[in-house]
Amino acid sequence: MKPAQLEQLLLLEQSGELTPRQQAHLAAALADSAHARELRDQLRHITRAVTAPEITPTMPASLADATARIDARLHPPRPLLAVAWKPLLAAAAALVLLVGATFFHIARHSPATAQRAALADDTELDTAWLDPMDAEFTELEDLLASIATDDFFLTMEM
Amino acid sequence: MKTSGEHAINMVDDAKELAAYRRGDTAALGRLVAKYQRPLFSFLSRFAANPDEANDWFQETWVRAIRNMNFFRQKNLPGWLFRIAHNLAVDAARRRRPEESLDAAPPGSPAPLGELLPAAGLSPAAVVAGHDLGQQITAAVNRLPFEQREVFWLRMDAGLPFKEIARLQRCSLNTALGRMQYALTRLRAALGPAYRELQDSAP
Repeated sequence: MKPAQLEQLLLLEQSGELTPRQQAHLAAALADSAHARELRDQLRHITRAVTAPEITPTMPASLADATARIDARLHPPRPLLAVAWKPLLAAAAALVLLVGATFFHIARHSPATAQRAALADDTELDTAWLDPMDAEFTELEDLLASIATDDFFLTMEM
Repeated sequence: MKTSGEHAINMVDDAKELAAYRRGDTAALGRLVAKYQRPLFSFLSRFAANPDEANDWFQETWVRAIRNMNFFRQKNLPGWLFRIAHNLAVDAARRRRPEESLDAAPPGSPAPLGELLPAAGLSPAAVVAGHDLGQQITAAVNRLPFEQREVFWLRMDAGLPFKEIARLQRCSLNTALGRMQYALTRLRAALGPAYRELQDSAP
């Protein structure tokens, strides 16, 4: 087996990805070759050296702090107005319309309003007789009435 | 090494925790974050300019993962998290590419790589005793091209299988394996005698 092939098999062995056939090949190589065993030990040692806790980078923030920051970014607190100002505005407008319509309806059908309406009609009639043209007609009527009852005209007719 | 049964149990647990969080249980989010904190933060740190940026990316990864949960469909949470982490790292690498210098200190290292590599004659035992070997490997890996570096850390930090790494990098399984092998070859060259004598100091 070529050294490159051997190294590939050793890498796949370490990651647990060997097929049964590859496993058999590697087992044979390890049994036969001291170099293969040496290479495997070297690889293991490198892995141990770079994953040792004392050289593994550690987070500057505490775990709780990091979790809290992640959670805060996923669920940011929303300002009150931003929460529902549109539905609130719509509800307020609907309420104003409803109250206005109710007052209008009540005012239109109340007895006091009917009285006021009747009074308004009378006043309207009264003021109609104050028209100057109407006054002239009245005078004319009076004149005709006096003529009709005058004796002179009555005799002439006869 | 996780068996497929353990993997399936893990996925069910993740789905349950996510459902609980959606119902308002913040503690469920805490449990999930704790579960993947070490591999995810560690992976992000390899590509971030500093721990604060890694911290921001860590939060961003979780926020994006949960907001876009409909794409994840509760199949494989770690794969989904590392896909997002990969995108963040790629975006950052694209932004920084014009300013990157080979003589600059690798991310997370205070000194240029040349100063971090083992001095001639330093025995592996001395290197290991000083906690330096892991840091030296890290520094050497940070000099690798982005794709190889990412394969290395996705395998080492995240523990992702090569099939998952290949999916994430949109390449074949052989390419992903090849990138890892190339990373190991470069590592051997960079660490020199220290690398060759690793097995001698192995327990």
